[in-house]
Amino acid sequence: MASKLLISVSATQVCAARWQGGRFATCSVFDNSEEGLSAFQEYLAQIRNLSVHMMVDAVEEDYRIELLPHAYGSERNEMVNRKLKQFYRNTPYCSARRQSREAGKRRDDRYLFCALTNPELIAAWVEAIIERGLPIAGIYLLPTVSQGLVEKLEIDQTNLLVVSIHSSGTRLTFFRDQKLRVSRLARIDLAGQQAIEGYAEEISNTRLYLHAVRVMTLDEQLSVLIIDREDSLTKLAQAIAQDSQNIECRRLGRQEIISSLGISASALDSSSAALYLHLLGLRAPDSNLAPADITQRYRQHQGQRRVYAVTGATAFAAAAWCAMSLYQIFDTQSETEAARRQTAQLQAQYQEATRQFPAAPTTAENLKRAVDISQKIGATTRSPEPMMRLVSQALDRHPAIVLKTLGWKYDRTDIDAEPGGRTTKPTAEPSAPPIAVGRKQSGLVEGDVRPFRGDYRAAIDEINRFADTLSQQPEVAEVRVVKMPLNINPSLTLSGNTTESLEQTGRAEFKLLLVLKQS
Amino acid sequence: MNSADLLALRNPVIALILILALAAGLIYYLDQSLTAAKRELAGQQVQLREARTRLQKSGDEKQIIVRYLSNYQYLQRLGFVGDEQRINWLEGLRLSNQQTQLFGVDYQIGAQQPYPYASELEPGQLTLQQSLMKITFRLLHEGDLLRFLGTLAKQGVGVFSVNQCMIQRIDTGGSIRFQPNLQAECELAWITARPAAPGDKKL
Repeated sequence: MASKLLISVSATQVCAARWQGGRFATCSVFDNSEEGLSAFQEYLAQIRNLSVHMMVDAVEEDYRIELLPHAYGSERNEMVNRKLKQFYRNTPYCSARRQSREAGKRRDDRYLFCALTNPELIAAWVEAIIERGLPIAGIYLLPTVSQGLVEKLEIDQTNLLVVSIHSSGTRLTFFRDQKLRVSRLARIDLAGQQAIEGYAEEISNTRLYLHAVRVMTLDEQLSVLIIDREDSLTKLAQAIAQDSQNIECRRLGRQEIISSLGISASALDSSSAALYLHLLGLRAPDSNLAPADITQRYRQHQGQRRVYAVTGATAFAAAAWCAMSLYQIFDTQSETEAARRQTAQLQAQYQEATRQFPAAPTTAENLKRAVDISQKIGATTRSPEPMMRLVSQALDRHPAIVLKTLGWKYDRTDIDAEPGGRTTKPTAEPSAPPIAVGRKQSGLVEGDVRPFRGDYRAAIDEINRFADTLSQQPEVAEVRVVKMPLNINPSLTLSGNTTESLEQTGRAEFKLLLVLKQS
Repeated sequence: MNSADLLALRNPVIALILILALAAGLIYYLDQSLTAAKRELAGQQVQLREARTRLQKSGDEKQIIVRYLSNYQYLQRLGFVGDEQRINWLEGLRLSNQQTQLFGVDYQIGAQQPYPYASELEPGQLTLQQSLMKITFRLLHEGDLLRFLGTLAKQGVGVFSVNQCMIQRIDTGGSIRFQPNLQAECELAWITARPAAPGDKKL
């Protein structure tokens, strides 16, 4: 729980306590006077970096219950601010708190408006705090702080009147359905039995007042909670229980206060406001009277704290991330080092093993691959002999064909020849698979038809028959005539002489391209 | 929030920005370092696996050396493994010409280049090269071509494959004297293999 400075201001005295670790040890008490203010300033001079929560216990206070139309957001704020200005023109210390919604058709919101109507009461003290540079988190009326008492004690009575004795008088605070409705401070300058009677009378008067303002009727049961921090009001509880009807009285004695609220005995004894300062330290109420200019430094302080908190969280997260990364790096490096050592060990073992090996000019893998590759080259090497044999056999069956040139190539591409020409596919294996992309043998047969006496039809027929003979060989994948004695392409000019002679006239030259099947 | 509130946040925000920048820089640097460390570990693990596999297979390796060493040494002598032996090739041409009683061989050897069919042979760490040799020679008849190529292959001067041959008839004017009738032009690819990384050699 964050440390803070708790201050209670009343018409007679000012109490200050340093809240630390969920409690405070003791209160410093100052008179509400010039001397007291000077002492307070000296006290503040020792305080650093604490936010201030101030509580006011004064007669100059006002409480109003108002029903306002149900609204949200800025509309609600505007409406509430308008009401605050309307009710409390002469004081900046006012606030409104929405308590509940009405059960009627309009379902209006019920608001508690409260204010410190005499700002001069705390002006000098607030100024001293601001001058010291301490951020003021909030200024609250003591009765709004006592809301925490009801919640802490888990009191569920419908009508509850909390009675406590303070330096400034007797405080009577009424709660309806555990919600603060009204509070008053009565001055009773009596002692002993007379004081008890005076307190009882004030309680009775308060009940009449509540009846008059129609907060509750006299027939309704009223629960009275007497805060008796000095165990001096036992008789008051007895008197109320005997004299008044419809009143249930409960006294919260010193020991019960200490045990149920967690305040230390020394703190409780240090001031009559100590109990409420303790409640304020535990939880600040929602009804903050301080205007924005008073809490500006606190807002800045809070903003700075949030940014510093984000900075701290970021630094922590980054540090954690870096630590994790560093751990992973060191872990990985050590793993790498272990692998390196193991590799070196295995390599040493391997070197030891290789001493038993026969001396070799290269690695075993290279030895094997070199031998395998030489064998593969031997297996894939081709000779022009099959091509020559095929052509030779075909020439035997076609004596009119005279060979001039025979080319052979073993490559992925066919031997160079003129493009175009008639293609004669072999008929022996019509369902043969397509030629795969790889090296293949191709050949170029260049020759002419002899004798040739100008009969191109006969010559072309002879060449085609020669090509057919070649294509019928099982090893042949394709035979393509790339050049004929006569080019009958309609797109070209054709000229010649038709004179017939027994002698050789001209040449019937041709070119054939052979492609063998891959083997 | 007014300007005074914003001004009050200046120092905390500067501190936050500094911390963010520092954190981002540190995280980036460490992330890079971690990535590098992981990469180094992966590389080292690969080496470890290889070393383990090599040790496990050292017995097999010995068997391979015993089995293939003599053939490899033969290929070295043949000129297939190692540097090119062009003098041996020319000597082979000369002897083949003599033995087949041809009329002389013209040759032209091109610059060494990568063997284009190397990938089909899965060379591993061996580098396969070829030098293309164009030879031109005259023949009595077409059978001399096959005899010449066969004789050259038997010379044991290297490994070659015949890429292309072209045989053309020479016009002899009908004479039947002992003279060439055909001219042949062939392209041979002399293939050599060499271990790519000398560091891998085991002496």
